[in-house]
Amino acid sequence: MFEEKLKEFEPIFYPRSIAVVGASANSIKAGTAWVWTLLTAGFPGHIYPVGSRGGRIGDLEIFPSLRLVPGEVDYVVVAVPRQSVLELLDDCVARSVKAVQFFTAGFSEMDAQQGRALEEQMVEKARQGNMRIIGPNCIGVYCPEQRIPFVMGTLGEGGGVGFVSQSGGIAGKLATIGIARHIKYSKGVSFGNGIDLDASDFLQYLAADPKTKVIGAYLEGTRNGARLFHTMKEVAKVKPLVVWKGGRTEAGAQAAMSHTGSLASSAAIWSAALRQAGAIEVYSLEELTDTLLVLQQFDHWQGTRAAIIGGLADGGGGMSVSAGDTCMDNGLEVPPLSLETRKELSALLGEVGSILHNPVDVSQAQFRGLATLFQAIDLVARDTSIDFVLIQEDIDILLPIYSWKGVEEINGFFVELGSNQNKPIVVVLPPGSAEAERLQAEHTLLKASIPVFCSMERAARALANLNKCSCWQGAR
Amino acid sequence: MIKSQNALTEVESKELLSKAGIPVVETKLARSKKEAISISKEMSFPVVLKINSRDVIHKSDSGGVKLGLVNATQVGKAYSEIMSSIKRAYPEAQIEGISVQPMVPPGVEVIIGMSKDPQFGPVIMFGLGGILVEVLKDVSFRIVPVTERDAKEMIREIKGYPILEGYRGQKPASMPALEKLIVKVSQFVEKNIDIRELDLNPVFAYPDKAVAVDARIILE
Repeated sequence: MFEEKLKEFEPIFYPRSIAVVGASANSIKAGTAWVWTLLTAGFPGHIYPVGSRGGRIGDLEIFPSLRLVPGEVDYVVVAVPRQSVLELLDDCVARSVKAVQFFTAGFSEMDAQQGRALEEQMVEKARQGNMRIIGPNCIGVYCPEQRIPFVMGTLGEGGGVGFVSQSGGIAGKLATIGIARHIKYSKGVSFGNGIDLDASDFLQYLAADPKTKVIGAYLEGTRNGARLFHTMKEVAKVKPLVVWKGGRTEAGAQAAMSHTGSLASSAAIWSAALRQAGAIEVYSLEELTDTLLVLQQFDHWQGTRAAIIGGLADGGGGMSVSAGDTCMDNGLEVPPLSLETRKELSALLGEVGSILHNPVDVSQAQFRGLATLFQAIDLVARDTSIDFVLIQEDIDILLPIYSWKGVEEINGFFVELGSNQNKPIVVVLPPGSAEAERLQAEHTLLKASIPVFCSMERAARALANLNKCSCWQGAR
Repeated sequence: MIKSQNALTEVESKELLSKAGIPVVETKLARSKKEAISISKEMSFPVVLKINSRDVIHKSDSGGVKLGLVNATQVGKAYSEIMSSIKRAYPEAQIEGISVQPMVPPGVEVIIGMSKDPQFGPVIMFGLGGILVEVLKDVSFRIVPVTERDAKEMIREIKGYPILEGYRGQKPASMPALEKLIVKVSQFVEKNIDIRELDLNPVFAYPDKAVAVDARIILE
């Protein structure tokens, strides 16, 4: 579905040439920064800086006008003041530009009447010139495959997660968190005011894009709710759609004369719309990225039964109890392991000081060697009464007992465990005093596609969200 | 501020709903005490008398509702009492008359409503009736058009859902009847685009059917 979007949006995500309007050789301007960002990232197509004073940026000539640029221009980034916008659009039409993205702000988001009027004129010009507009008030496109980062941003590794964001700031955060947590994006877009192309258009594109397997979104409002609702319904049928709705206050509530009218708050209706459409609703940037991470790693996997491995060395007991609570608070189950597994664990670890319920305390293994520890964890992972394994790893506790070499071995084992059996393995690695070592361990695990969380709370919530994925249930 | 002309009376609202095939308790308008008594005899006792005026929003709070009237004398007395209470509470109110309806046996009370969201258009609301809705806000919403599947899901989202399944001796409510009613209301507001808000409150849900006992429709 929505296949026609693929061809239409090619110049947006795979432009062969980008003109950046508002670039200057001498002063620090957004346009200049954009050019440098593209150069540094290694954008393979033509980059045409445009700025009235001319000059050079690196090896590139700055053209005084878009009309003087040699060669075809697919995509234009505009970083000039609001006054110049209409004239610039005429230039774009003259050059048969396919898409124009306005970084420029100060339109309807700032000044309802005049801003709105200007936006309407912009759209009119674009329609006549057979052109699409992204923004205004946005940072545009992020596409690792085509070496296009966000302005002044770093480019992460490409992959299968797509995102759309109404906020430029949040779009930037999604990109940087992606790099930190190894969430690999196919495409991302910050669409700002969405006067032409809006959330619905980009969601449709990502639904059709064969490179995108999972979709995340940050939305604040929409100019066409019916279209957005319909779009989300169709998209959620084919790919997991995770939506964070920002701004939960009223949008101009009228005086209500009925019970229904007074209870129908904007936040309640948005939540209902997301649920009805089959999207997974999340409530923060952390939850959005955490959920995208597990959706990326655990394709088509659902289940609520967790095996919690606490106390790899010590620190079981209380932490394990709270881990169990946290999982259940978030809608997961923590069932007892099978009798067989418990018998085998007992034989392996002995009964004294080991808690063989779930959460499982394997701390006794420290007296019997790493091989025993690994065997114990492997046993738990293969128990058929659970769907995934959550491992609490506390570097501060492990280092004195196993030394860094031992810790490396342990994390190496987790990586192996992840790949030699089919149940998801998730590691909770809380911050402590051994931060450098913790980060190294985290990096090893994330690189090997094992999701790492800094708290059981976040891990449990993300895993619970997997089960809200309607298209994986085949239910819709 | 909404003009009260936009609000339909209970009798008018029920007429519209009834025409659309939505089950409502039969309600007739009486313009005099005599008429009220003769309608009551026709319907058979016990009956309920209510003030019928688009200007009166909270009927029971202002003495505008009299329940369980078992004979003509009670009906006559109730008629006078309602008129004087309302004249005191709402001196400016335009009063069409007093409505008469049979007193139906108690069922599980639910509320089904509709309002227009500025972004998503018409939405349907479901909740358990009475103070549970106003205080606990234990309600669910769905965007129109609401399918049977949506209706099923929105009913089950309510925290108080176990009450619908039957609780402490109270008879359970018919889920299919409630689901069908929700879908019918969704279709009704889809067809009548000038309905701005709608409350069916309460709806009595029985093991075999669901009926709107009171209804309020507000037009654009």
